[in-house]
Amino acid sequence: MRPLAIRFRYAFIRTYKPVLDDEPFRAFDTTAEYRRWCEENLPDWLGYGRVRVSAG
Amino acid sequence: MGAFEYRQAEEIRDAFARHGVRYLFLGKSGAILLGFPDTTQDADLFVERTPENGRAIARALLELGFALDEVQAAQIEAGKDFVQLKNGPFDLDLVFAPDGIERFEDAWRRRVEVEGFAVCHIDDIIASKEATGRVKDRESLPRLRSFREYWVRRQRS
Repeated sequence: MRPLAIRFRYAFIRTYKPVLDDEPFRAFDTTAEYRRWCEENLPDWLGYGRVRVSAG
Repeated sequence: MGAFEYRQAEEIRDAFARHGVRYLFLGKSGAILLGFPDTTQDADLFVERTPENGRAIARALLELGFALDEVQAAQIEAGKDFVQLKNGPFDLDLVFAPDGIERFEDAWRRRVEVEGFAVCHIDDIIASKEATGRVKDRESLPRLRSFREYWVRRQRS
């Protein structure tokens, strides 16, 4: 396995995430509140929403 | 702001050690520390919710260059369940109450040390991702479970 420092170099990337990256600081009283905020505010394609089970 | 670098992880490790912060790497950043080959954009830290730990975290973050005002520092000290920091040299999520893990103390007992970094056990990382129900976590879980089998075998040998 490659040394940890090398793995780090390739594992952490930086791309802009709309809405999520637009505030320098957010704090949520509960994790449930944070999850809800993500669902209501972030684009679906970021993947922060819950998996929806389709009927039928 | 650039990507999270190994040097910065060392700075977190060392600053948190100096201030006596109790923390564990969680999420994909934790899995990567364990050897999971993937990419992520920020570091997730599961931090113990005690007044002393909260104060120590705020002090350490200020030392690391995070631009915390008094209100923000107070929210960290109070141990809000989830704190998202993008006002420092790298993105950092502080998670005081992760989904799928009941108590910090239990996760601490199961922790894995990787080059001085305290990391959640792979079972806790998987449990927390299973509990979120998020699309991005559901995408990662099959590979994480498969990695777990490899990692456990490797620990035994």
